[in-house]
Amino acid sequence: MTIHTKAEVILKAENVQLSFGNTIILRDINFCIKNILRPGYEQGQVVSLIGRSGIGKTQLFKILSGLQHPTSGKVTINNNNTIKAGDMGVIFQNYYLFEWRSIHTSLMLAATQNKRLKGKENETVNKYLDDFGLKAISGYYPQQLSGGQRQRASIIQQLLKGSDFLLLDEPFSGLDVVMLDRVVSLLLQVSLSDELKTLIIVSHDIETAVAISDTVFIMGEEAGKPGATIKKEIDLIERDLAWQKDVKLLKRFTETIDEIKAAL
Amino acid sequence: MFVPFGKINKQVLAIMVGGQAVLVLLLWHVSSNGLIPQPLKVANAFLELLQTKLLWDNVLTSLMLTLEAMFYSVLITLFFTYLSVVPFFKTIALFLVKCRYLTLTGLIFIFTLLTKDGSQLKLSLLVFGMVPFFVTSFLGVILNIDKQQYELCKTLGYTHWQTVYEVIIIGKADQVLEILRQNFAISWLMITLVEGYSMSEGGIGALIIKYNKYNDLTNVLALQLVIFLIGLGFDYLLGALRKWFFPYTKLI
Repeated sequence: MTIHTKAEVILKAENVQLSFGNTIILRDINFCIKNILRPGYEQGQVVSLIGRSGIGKTQLFKILSGLQHPTSGKVTINNNNTIKAGDMGVIFQNYYLFEWRSIHTSLMLAATQNKRLKGKENETVNKYLDDFGLKAISGYYPQQLSGGQRQRASIIQQLLKGSDFLLLDEPFSGLDVVMLDRVVSLLLQVSLSDELKTLIIVSHDIETAVAISDTVFIMGEEAGKPGATIKKEIDLIERDLAWQKDVKLLKRFTETIDEIKAAL
Repeated sequence: MFVPFGKINKQVLAIMVGGQAVLVLLLWHVSSNGLIPQPLKVANAFLELLQTKLLWDNVLTSLMLTLEAMFYSVLITLFFTYLSVVPFFKTIALFLVKCRYLTLTGLIFIFTLLTKDGSQLKLSLLVFGMVPFFVTSFLGVILNIDKQQYELCKTLGYTHWQTVYEVIIIGKADQVLEILRQNFAISWLMITLVEGYSMSEGGIGALIIKYNKYNDLTNVLALQLVIFLIGLGFDYLLGALRKWFFPYTKLI
């Protein structure tokens, strides 16, 4: 097992419940994400929330992003602060951008929201554009971008905002094999950018999500109880499945995937 | 050409439109009796009108009045629709939308009492007539804004007023020109009506009424042609301005 320590809790969901009228969508959602320290490495956490389609993942995504208030319970981040919209970087499934702004202007708008970048917004935006290979098309409008370029622009926009958390809704959905590899590399690049950077991936693509995560939470329904909840937590570091190259080739990876499928 | 969703190239389109126009003119020519002037007669009257100072003076009067009314209408519309996201103003905006069911004819006397002269009367009637249509169109745009646009602002930590500025004012700025383009026809339609209430200052509406009075249908139709062409010109101009000011609209 890779040497590591789990330090302070950086995000905690406590007894989160969501109902629409009499319909319970989510119930008893309890989990926490800890800051993982790995000697010799500066990298953040990658956590996956896995569940079947229509189980309520998007609703949990909205609660975690602060866009939806839970019916009861709370989600707190650093120092026990209840989460609110704007605390997290949010990448929507369709990589939403302001269609009326050029990419450079959109990114500048996000950078000006980040007080830590005051005075060096333009410099930082240009650096990100360079790093993510979008420099040549910085004057383009979102409609002129390919799906991959749009995704990168959307991620940079949220990174510039300066949040330590990045929530991604189904980032692997509808991608071909080549694009999937690129997205995975991109997410790993982001997670390696800062020790406190935490990626929370909400997905139904089990294999890809597990391959890049260090922790997996499985969402599902329990017999006789309405609404979805976190049924299981799998620590991939303990199983020596985190931070491994070609992890998909390992037997224990396949076993873990089977275990997750059985739990869904 | 006759298949649903069929596509035709530009050359075929030009021939098709030309053919349709010729067909309409032929039908008009054949079906004209003594009362309805034939197209050639109207065309001659149109060309003669173009050479008169009378036409241009009246067109200018109408255009100035229309532009002034549109300016005030847009200001009022933007004020109430931008603020329609505030509950207090939303009810006012919705009331303005319903005002389009009021007829101008029933309100002329009240407006005559409220205004100083014929010029003010025409302007206020036009503004009153146009605002409900402008508000209806723009409110529709605001109500149909994708929720994700607001959510994106929230995730970027925008305040409510920053969100209004980014999503509604900047994000929908192109729609203001589009609504002006769509509703120019309404203002152009109303101008001929209101100019009839105060004919001393002239205008294309007053000119039509005058020709109508003497049953000069040839000149009436020639004037209609002038109105039609000016309308098309404005339609093109506003469309071009929209593409020029907001280049991203060309991409959608």
